[in-house]
Amino acid sequence: MTRPEPVTLLELNRRLAAVVASTPGLQQVWTVAETSDVRIAGGHCYLELIQKDPDTGTAVARARATIWRSTYERLARRFRAATGADFASGIKVMVRATVNFHPVYGFSLNIDDLDPEYTLGDLLRRRREMIARLTAEGIIGRNRALPWPAVPWRVAVVSSRGAAGYGDFIHQLFTNPRRLRFSAELFPAVMQGADAAPSIVAALEAVAARRGDFDCVVIIRGGGATGDLASFDDYTLAARIALFPLPVIIGIGHERDITLLDYVAAMRVKTPTAAAEWLAARVGAALDRVADTGAEILRLAAERTAREAMRLEAARAELPLLARGIVLDRARRVGPDTVASLEQCITAMLTRHTDALRAAGHLIDALSPEATLRRGFSVTRIDGRALTSAADVAPGARLVTTLADGTITSTVQDQS
Amino acid sequence: MTYAAASAELDAILAELRSDRCDIDTLTARTRRAVELLKYCRERLTATDTELREILSSLTPPQP
Repeated sequence: MTRPEPVTLLELNRRLAAVVASTPGLQQVWTVAETSDVRIAGGHCYLELIQKDPDTGTAVARARATIWRSTYERLARRFRAATGADFASGIKVMVRATVNFHPVYGFSLNIDDLDPEYTLGDLLRRRREMIARLTAEGIIGRNRALPWPAVPWRVAVVSSRGAAGYGDFIHQLFTNPRRLRFSAELFPAVMQGADAAPSIVAALEAVAARRGDFDCVVIIRGGGATGDLASFDDYTLAARIALFPLPVIIGIGHERDITLLDYVAAMRVKTPTAAAEWLAARVGAALDRVADTGAEILRLAAERTAREAMRLEAARAELPLLARGIVLDRARRVGPDTVASLEQCITAMLTRHTDALRAAGHLIDALSPEATLRRGFSVTRIDGRALTSAADVAPGARLVTTLADGTITSTVQDQS
Repeated sequence: MTYAAASAELDAILAELRSDRCDIDTLTARTRRAVELLKYCRERLTATDTELREILSSLTPPQP
């Protein structure tokens, strides 16, 4: 048995490369997959495409892929404009791939086009699923239902210190034309990429630990910068905001882009500057209310005082008239009726007095010595004094006895 | 005194004045108190330019 002449590895790889290059169905194939390990080097984009088992999440297919610089710049820009997300790891993509076999670097896919609509659809679908979950759990409206303090002046800011948005916000807040007083404290967080969501959650926990020190939370990031909003479509972060004990203002989106967080935060604004303007308007409204209340109190007090003074002045002017009126009124009231009733009064009084006199007369009659004498008693006097004791007389004394109808004079003969 | 308490007291004074419950003697006391509260609230809500500049500079990172 003759052994065929061996080939070099290069020769073998070239043959494989030729087969790959000439086989139909391997060039410019629209393929759906998930991105992983996306990295940029020298302007070229290197990544892995994975297909995961939807139930277990483990990879069932994997391939290295590249997007050459000239293509990548164009595709990345188009992708970001359409989806609001950076072309990054962990997103679902539809790409046009050509299978390539390189004698040294082996198997890889060369991507020359992609369809952002597929990714956008996937992002929206995932967002819708998370909104449905937050709704089913009954927490989606919790933060929005929190009452706003009348004056939200103590602001916890979750952002990154260097972010343009943070500077814009702080500047706007502290140079407001009405010189409204605010206090702000920064809770630093990573504001982009895969680390953003857990980092913001950690910053929120730090705020929650001191919730008594703040009236609200503002989550903001770079003004003008676009892209990578997808990292904010995070269930854990959204749930934390929904259940946060203080009202949360979100200022991470743009004019037309929204993220999941916009559905759960108490307030959504377009830019960090708008967040500051919103707060200033609220505190300004409180200042207006104070001014209005003050003006109203002073107006009422002045009105009341004026009314009182007027009443006093009127009373003073009216007093002489009033006095004259009273006199006339009294005079008018002494009419014929009054005379008649006076007569009655006097008659009644006289009758009463006559009766009393009569009764007194009877009593006096009953108790008088005359009445006693009439009943058979008599009074005997000696020298004008009433005789009350036998010892007071001596024989020969002259006695005068008074009876009802006359007197008898007698001489004492004996005394015992 | 908190801002909320001061604000609530102002509202109460306003309600009392509106209801005509307060006589002319208490009116003077209430008005004087209202002016105090107004001053306090206004001072709590606004700051001087210097105060604002100080806060702003403490919060803004030094420019490179």
